[in-house]
Amino acid sequence: MVAYHNLYLALAVVLFTIGAIGAITRRNAIVVFMCIEIMLGAVNLAFITFSRANQSVEGIFMVMFIMAVAAAEAAVGLAIFVLMYRKRGTINVESLNLMKW
Amino acid sequence: MELIILLLCGGLTIIASLLVIFTRNTVHSALWMVTSFFFMAVLYLLLRAEFIAILQIIVYAGAIMMFVIYAIMMLNLRQEEQGPVRKTKVVGVVLLLVLFLELMVVGVGRGLLAIKGPVTDQLMAKFGHVAVLSNFLFSDYVLPFELASILLTAGVVGAVVLAKQKSE
Amino acid sequence: MFDKVWLIPIFPIIGVLVNGLLGRRFEKINKSIIHWVACGAVALSFIVTCILFFQMLGLPADQRLYEFTWFKWINSGVLHSYVAYQIDPLSMMMCLFVTGVGFLIHVYSIGYMSTEEGREYRFFTYLNLFMFAMINLVLANNYLLLFLGWEGVGLCSYLLIGFWFSEEANAIAGKKAFITNRIGDFGFILGLLLLYTSLGKHGIWTLQFSEVFTHVHLLSPQVATAVCLLLFVGCTAKSAQIPLYVWLPDAMAGPTPVSALIHAATMVTSGVYMVARSNILYSMSPFAMGVVATFGALTALFAASIGLVQNDIKKVLAYSTVSQLGYMFLGLGVGAYAAGMFHVLTHAFFKALLFLGSGAVIHSMHQGLHKVHSHADAQDMRNMGGLKSKTPITYVTFLIGTLAIAGIPGFSGFFSKDEILWKAYSSPHGHFLLWLIGAIAAGMTAFYMFRLVFMTFFNESRVPDGADEHLHECPKTMTVPLMVLAFFAAVAGYLGVPHALGGSNRIHHFLDPVMGIGPGKLLHKAGGTIAHGAHAAAEAVHGAGMHHAAEHGSMFAEYLLMAISVTIALLGIFLAYTMYIKKRDIPEKLANSYPFLYRLLLNKWYVDELYELTVIKPLHGFSILLWKGVDVAIIDGIINGVARIVGWFSGVVRYIQSGYVQSYAVSVVLGTVVLVIYYFIRAIS
Repeated sequence: MVAYHNLYLALAVVLFTIGAIGAITRRNAIVVFMCIEIMLGAVNLAFITFSRANQSVEGIFMVMFIMAVAAAEAAVGLAIFVLMYRKRGTINVESLNLMKW
Repeated sequence: MELIILLLCGGLTIIASLLVIFTRNTVHSALWMVTSFFFMAVLYLLLRAEFIAILQIIVYAGAIMMFVIYAIMMLNLRQEEQGPVRKTKVVGVVLLLVLFLELMVVGVGRGLLAIKGPVTDQLMAKFGHVAVLSNFLFSDYVLPFELASILLTAGVVGAVVLAKQKSE
Repeated sequence: MFDKVWLIPIFPIIGVLVNGLLGRRFEKINKSIIHWVACGAVALSFIVTCILFFQMLGLPADQRLYEFTWFKWINSGVLHSYVAYQIDPLSMMMCLFVTGVGFLIHVYSIGYMSTEEGREYRFFTYLNLFMFAMINLVLANNYLLLFLGWEGVGLCSYLLIGFWFSEEANAIAGKKAFITNRIGDFGFILGLLLLYTSLGKHGIWTLQFSEVFTHVHLLSPQVATAVCLLLFVGCTAKSAQIPLYVWLPDAMAGPTPVSALIHAATMVTSGVYMVARSNILYSMSPFAMGVVATFGALTALFAASIGLVQNDIKKVLAYSTVSQLGYMFLGLGVGAYAAGMFHVLTHAFFKALLFLGSGAVIHSMHQGLHKVHSHADAQDMRNMGGLKSKTPITYVTFLIGTLAIAGIPGFSGFFSKDEILWKAYSSPHGHFLLWLIGAIAAGMTAFYMFRLVFMTFFNESRVPDGADEHLHECPKTMTVPLMVLAFFAAVAGYLGVPHALGGSNRIHHFLDPVMGIGPGKLLHKAGGTIAHGAHAAAEAVHGAGMHHAAEHGSMFAEYLLMAISVTIALLGIFLAYTMYIKKRDIPEKLANSYPFLYRLLLNKWYVDELYELTVIKPLHGFSILLWKGVDVAIIDGIINGVARIVGWFSGVVRYIQSGYVQSYAVSVVLGTVVLVIYYFIRAIS
């Protein structure tokens, strides 16, 4: 049986790059958030590929925990967006520079 | 057969992801992301990780997408604001393309991502099976598992606390 | 009881803390609290000292050494220094009169400073602090603690000279004293470092007296000479010898009790004490001893000559102090350490007496002039005269002090000064010229001291503006110390009646063990194995100097020299009598016929001007060059340049810190790119 591991990995790299480009270029915070989810998905794909290639289940568990973190992140992150929108009337990440002292 | 499905689903995932970042309409972006995750779940199935594939559909395409759509609706953010492109973003994109080339050419191309051993049918049958996973999950991985549940609880509480604040 | 020696320094420091922290409050409630605290602290120290002293007297002479280690002070590499005190005849003697005279002067200050509103607590705090430092200086069992005390007394001296700092001249005098002492201390500390490293080469890393003196034979003669000379540089500043004596006359700007305590009786003798303490070291270097003796003799003569024509009552006494200190160093330099210390003791009594007496005179004058709103100088002897009947107690006590310093037989100064002069002639280190200089200086001393007495207390009153009606005797707190000191000034000399006069010279026998001779060689006991070479040398010097000469030398010579010096002193008194009572036009005629000499003396040989021209002006110019050229242009330039470069660079880098999340994400990507490159390079190679 032929394993196309390199193809899976290449796909993961492509998805990661697409997600990252979106994360640093898009202005809408929710879209940025979605792009980060794509990056996480790419990483998950890579983990599962490695897990299968190495005949180990560790990658699978890593993916499960990443998903747990992503879910928590989604909950908190979206709550923050809602709050931010209420306070400032926008969730455009380019109009938010609170981190500049 | 696997190759055909892999190329097809992989290509669709890439297209859907590209549409996520190139669509101006936020709701469309969200829908394209669901599409992308759906095809990714097919790839997981191809890799024999059935449980993860199910999780992918339930958690991402189900739960997280609902959050996102709900937030978009609540905030009424269909259209993204326009403005001049920042130089740092251009730099960032260039850097990401460099990273992409690095990973593709040096990492994947030269097979430096250490992959070893043939995959036997026997193993393939077990890989990603819920029974196998649950054995590990409730023995070796019980502590991270419980921690993850605490994290999720904290996330839920945090979300409620944040969103409940009265606007002035 | 010896292990309670730490009580001696602890009382004054408690006094410092109490008065320094709460004095301002006491001043509002009741000023006598301050007096009780300050005087009580010193009195307690004095009592403890007395107890220890008498306990020590009860011991046989060769056991009179006790070292008490209080706590570890510095522990750094090979340097271990302890706060440790040493009880031996020398330190006890010093401590006894430091606390005793100090106590009397504290009491005197109550009366003298009574007109100082709101500043008394400061004065008494400083005085107590001085006592603490001085006690540390004399009780220390190592050079480092001695140096601590040495610096401490210098600090207190500075604070007290400039006590009335609102007048610029006083502040400048304080600075002068401090800076001059810094120069000397620099020499002193160099000497200590040289001693420390030279002994360290032989594996003896210590500055403890008993250890150092036990191992001095390890030093080469050249190193010993260098150490001695460097230490003596410290003495020239602290004990006001040529060439660094210039600060002492100016130090008279401070309150008179300060002049009495610090600049006459105790602090200025610490140099003498230090040399006497290091006698074994000095005995190794005849050259250094010669230098000490020569500088001492020259200082004695030089300062006395300036004292001849001064008109300020305290200035005369200041130059007299410098001159007397010269005598002490003369004594030390010819190897007569005990004689030098004896003179320290008698001088402490009579000079403290004289200063306090002059303070009483100034106090009366000041009060009197204040009554008639006169602004005449209360310290100028030309404004005095006829005070004998106005202030009888001051007059009598002052006269006793004067007789003592002039060396009139029967008073303390005679015994100690004569001892030094005799040793200057007879000791193997001595020389006829040294004796001659000393004798001439003694004559001058008698002259200017009686000139002072005659101008102040005799003749008709020259007090201006009719203030003499208001002159009266000082309060009891001032006169009682005067009487006590007068008693000691008269009789202290009987502690050391020389053999030639049928005495037993008890103070010599008392101090001999410290000087490494006589029956009780203390260091034999302390050091265990004393250096034979060094000790034999010391023995030879002392033996020849003190015993053989005295025993086998011609008694006749001693009598003759004694008679000559007394005659010279009497001659000086007679001259003063003639010039300032009988024919009072002589001084003016003399001044007119020798205007150059008169001006030279009146202006103190123009030494201050010479220093100004040769040292201060060039240094000032050089400092300005350093300031304008090096500091402002180069150092500030470098610093400002660095600041400007950093500012410019920050201006560039600032753009990274945009505050936008996505810009930071780009930084993360950059880091990732670099990291991935690194990992792949590592994986390939």
